[in-house]
Amino acid sequence: MPKLILDNGGYSIKAGFSTAEKPRLIPNCISKARSERRRPFIGDQIDDCRDTSGLFFILPFQKGYMVNADTQKTIWDYCFGKDVLDVTPTETDIVITEPHFNFKTLQEAVCELLFEEYEFRSLCRTSSSTSADYYYSITEGIQKKTSCTLVVDCGYSFTHIVPYVNGVKVTESVRRIDVGGKALTNHLKEIISYRQLHVLDETYLINQVKEDVCYVSTDFSQDVEVSKKKLSENNTIVREYVLPDYSSIRRGYIRKLEETGKRAKDNEQILRLNNERFTVPELLFHPSDVGIPQMGISEAIVTVIESFPEPIKHHFYDNIVLIGGTSCFPGFKERILHDVRRDASIYADTNVFLPTNPTFYAWEGAKKFSQDAEFSKYTVSRNTYNEKGLNAFAKICDI
Amino acid sequence: MAQREHRITSSARILDAAARYRRQKKALEALEQDNFHDEPHADLVMSKKVPKFQESNEKGPTKKKKQRSSEYFKLKFRKAINTLIEEEQLENVEGPNYSTAGAPPSKLPPRSFCTVCGFPSSYNCIPCGGKYCSLKCLKTHQDTRCLKWTA
Ligand SMILES: [Zn+2]
Ligand SMILES: [Zn+2]
Repeated sequence: MPKLILDNGGYSIKAGFSTAEKPRLIPNCISKARSERRRPFIGDQIDDCRDTSGLFFILPFQKGYMVNADTQKTIWDYCFGKDVLDVTPTETDIVITEPHFNFKTLQEAVCELLFEEYEFRSLCRTSSSTSADYYYSITEGIQKKTSCTLVVDCGYSFTHIVPYVNGVKVTESVRRIDVGGKALTNHLKEIISYRQLHVLDETYLINQVKEDVCYVSTDFSQDVEVSKKKLSENNTIVREYVLPDYSSIRRGYIRKLEETGKRAKDNEQILRLNNERFTVPELLFHPSDVGIPQMGISEAIVTVIESFPEPIKHHFYDNIVLIGGTSCFPGFKERILHDVRRDASIYADTNVFLPTNPTFYAWEGAKKFSQDAEFSKYTVSRNTYNEKGLNAFAKICDI
Repeated sequence: MAQREHRITSSARILDAAARYRRQKKALEALEQDNFHDEPHADLVMSKKVPKFQESNEKGPTKKKKQRSSEYFKLKFRKAINTLIEEEQLENVEGPNYSTAGAPPSKLPPRSFCTVCGFPSSYNCIPCGGKYCSLKCLKTHQDTRCLKWTA
């Protein structure tokens, strides 16, 4: 019987049976459109909405934690229902990811929903980074004969740096940076609204702009100099983005380079992006640029690794694994590699692994884990849960 | 209040530390915000139209059991995230927990960027502390942001 794998993120749910090649990607929110009075759009139903301007979002997650269980249930009802995965919970074992340091009340909420409402047969609770560590250890890591992995999970709500030794999470060394994709999108919205056009209500659009045009700089001061130039002086950074009008242009796009700077066609509304392209993702590396009193990703990686004794440090530097949607920015991996090599206290082989699909990697890892010979040891059946409650997970779950 | 602000010219006003802190806090909260406008059609009870799992799927949970209403989950589990963080800190001071896992401040020197154009800047606006890089940007700053929206 296939298992149901649910990587339940604050921005998107990655859900699918263990027999599937890849998961279905479902936004973890309910959207309401100005143009549609009659229906709320659950998850990926938003793809049916023609005019996505001014969407209003109802989210189960806040700051990376599932605080609105009732909203989550509405979205899961859709995911498990016959239009999407058509799950028969009483005959299904489910694997779910939860955030690190999940609050006890919220852990109870997950269990209560899955066992008491849906009546799943059994449950395995893990995290995205634990699934990624497992996957890495049976694939890339296997030739390296390594026992240590540093997983960097850069998601929507926040970023976690999570060290693993022999597959076990070193909980006291986990560090969280309160910057993820959401803060970047909101920051981009804020500066575009101030400099060019009011877009504070256009999260959906600006998220696409961010994905289409932003990148992580590998030479910040040089990029600053290039972006200060005029277009005619060979500013290779500036881009123009044609906004959707939701009739002839359904989705925005980057204007062809040879058209940049030319007059807009009558129906085109254009955003001009210059230093925004790289100063926005820069928040991941310098949260203090906007006043968040925390170190950035590279500094935190080095700080976490340096807190371990000498022989172990080498293994961590050699096995840094990046996952999560926000690690998809061009230049992200190169920047981390560059910074970490520069700042490591020891001469170490530094290797940063970026999976082909950082968004799906944890789901793929959880799927592989569900096929492991030892998997059943990490599950709790509904009967056991009814007897022992949350305590049934005490020794087998690292949340 | 509005009258008083009229009498004092803006150049004479200087934001105190508390006001600057409030402004900064507001900016940080905005980075977390999901929506910046009101819910459209909030008056309509839309959830009624959403199919429930049990109705849409005959193979769902055993029929004899009555499903709990969404009100039940709202009441039992809906808690503000800040309340959860505070409660946990009281219960588990030592950690490791959410609070102890937060990354510490950077040891690198802070960088400053012009609030107007986004390029590196080296000047601070005297009334509000905002950063600017040139006289041109200072002028824009004064005309748009400087002491506006400060309650
Ligand atoms: Zn400036
Ligand atoms: Zn000012």
